[in-house]
Amino acid sequence: MEYRLKIGRDTIPVDVEVEEGPGINMVIRGKTFGVRYSMLSENQIHMLVSGNGMTRQVNAYVADGPDGKIVMMNGIPYLVSDLDVQRQRAIKGEVRDIPEQVTPPTPAVVVRILVKEEERVEKGQGVIVVSAMKMETTLRAPFTGQVKKINVAVNDKVTPGQIMVDIEKDKVSE
Amino acid sequence: MFRKILVANRGEIALRVMNTCREMGIPTVAVYSDADQKALHTLCADEAVYLGKSDPAASYLNIEKIVSAAIDTGSEAIHPGYGFLAENADFAERCEQEGLVFIGPPSRVIRDLGDKTVARRIMRKAGVPVIPGMNYAEPDPGILAREAQKIRYPVLIKAAAGGGGKGMRIVTTEKDMAAACAEARSEAAAAFGNDSIYLEKFLERPRHIEFQILADTHGNVVHLLERECSIQRRHQKIIEESPSPAMTPELRAEMGRTAVDAAMASGYVNAGTVEFLVDNDGKYCFLEVNTRLQVEHPVTEMITGIDIVRQQVQIAAGNPLTLGQEDIMGRGHALECRIYGEDPENDFFPCPGKILFMKEPAGPGVRNDCGVYSGFDVPVEYDPILSKLIVCAENRKLAVTRMINALRQYVILGIKTPVPLLIDLLASEPFERGETFTDFMATHFSNWEQGSREADLACMAYVIDEICGKRQTKAIPYSEISAITPWQTLGNWRL
Repeated sequence: MEYRLKIGRDTIPVDVEVEEGPGINMVIRGKTFGVRYSMLSENQIHMLVSGNGMTRQVNAYVADGPDGKIVMMNGIPYLVSDLDVQRQRAIKGEVRDIPEQVTPPTPAVVVRILVKEEERVEKGQGVIVVSAMKMETTLRAPFTGQVKKINVAVNDKVTPGQIMVDIEKDKVSE
Repeated sequence: MFRKILVANRGEIALRVMNTCREMGIPTVAVYSDADQKALHTLCADEAVYLGKSDPAASYLNIEKIVSAAIDTGSEAIHPGYGFLAENADFAERCEQEGLVFIGPPSRVIRDLGDKTVARRIMRKAGVPVIPGMNYAEPDPGILAREAQKIRYPVLIKAAAGGGGKGMRIVTTEKDMAAACAEARSEAAAAFGNDSIYLEKFLERPRHIEFQILADTHGNVVHLLERECSIQRRHQKIIEESPSPAMTPELRAEMGRTAVDAAMASGYVNAGTVEFLVDNDGKYCFLEVNTRLQVEHPVTEMITGIDIVRQQVQIAAGNPLTLGQEDIMGRGHALECRIYGEDPENDFFPCPGKILFMKEPAGPGVRNDCGVYSGFDVPVEYDPILSKLIVCAENRKLAVTRMINALRQYVILGIKTPVPLLIDLLASEPFERGETFTDFMATHFSNWEQGSREADLACMAYVIDEICGKRQTKAIPYSEISAITPWQTLGNWRL
């Protein structure tokens, strides 16, 4: 079984060979590991990892994330996604490629709208102010262009991926 | 002593206060909003009173509802925690009128010190050194721009009613003044219901050092040593420690005396904090007095062994301080890390949502004041603090090691937290050298990205989780999490 996993900017090929019982062999980026494991709970995996003549114990904590799984070890969370699953979803239209539109990074409430429809905006100009947990943040135009449509009103609750303002990019600007 | 105390707050601080009340044998009443029906503070108090909708104005900021809740439950005192109504003079005054004891300073003192411009005037009169700037509020950006010219850019716009970094903007050139004023006023109005702003000189590279004070109703005032809180993001502290790496015994004695003078000049009663900015030569300026229990109070508790909430309750009950200045000594070194629901790779933007799984660190000298649990949905309406991790050890070096070890044990899945950033920060050379100035984050960690040293292991865990099949979508009840040990599950191992 082959996986192409993505962590941050890295694509990591993983070749998996499932054995009888709780052990599996994996080749990750050309290195071979033998792994015995036990699911201690729904979110907790204990692994005994052998490779390079060494064996070490690893406790990993796993939950489902937005585009894959979050794996946390030693205080560091890794967002791991399967590129092939992502591609399948993209073909089916489940994941919408977000173009350079103005969208909040987290659930938030619209506090002020700083532009009007048909108005020209410069790259980096403040477009909309949102508030999450009492903290105000200004969302800025990703490029120079013209505001085509404002899709939200003050006090609207907005979520990541929701396009708040459509800006038509200048053809000559980039 | 009080027969019952209502805790007018939520999250970790409400739980912190309830813990001491329980130790003192005083029953507690929690208050909660729609978003907090299953919050830990709601579930853990002896009684809980529903206030209303999640919007703070309808719940934790609603004086009428909270006063009624206190009267209806027979509470004799109200502890306001920090934030919300903690520094609201009208609330303290209302409590005074209703015959409820407000566990904090008298309303007059809160009103005086709560207006940063009045506080500056009081301190100047008492001979306490203050930061150059305005001593009155001004809404007109034009006039503010003229004042800025006088004290010279960069300047800091501050909310007169401010605190917690809300309504604060650094302005480096005149052209940014109008926009920054509008933002600061709007944020201040939302946070404090008061949009008054004024200017102070922005000091480029100070340390933020504060003194914890205790003052009783009998005229006794002591200080509980200093805390250094220079490491901040968005003007909010994220790491605090005591003692300060920059402190000398002489400076401590002098600043401690100044802090006590400041408390006396304002007629202070109960626990409070006198904040200073200190430059490289040990020259210090008064910043403000926080008339509440501070978020970072556990740092002081860990090195002095004094329970500050217990002291607050005793003082509020009219008892004299039993501690003299000579009784107060620090032992070892304490550090606190604030664990917020926020994205450290995206300008610390708040990141509310459901905590899918969580495991708290433990060990000798480790304390985690926590207000959330696995399965809890962190509401978008309130401050994103999840918990405060505090450690104490023999010296600074050991305390840092202990904190890093504790952070590495911390598991929070489902929402982003600064845990990986805090680990890198504590392990960094500037932090080790004690070069903790308020520009620390901007200087050393402005474009921080999380490392991926154990990415291979993360891939293994991913594949194993995939092989083991779909997890139930429902969150695991809190009660089941800590009960799972390898001894219950090792049965299917084959070696």
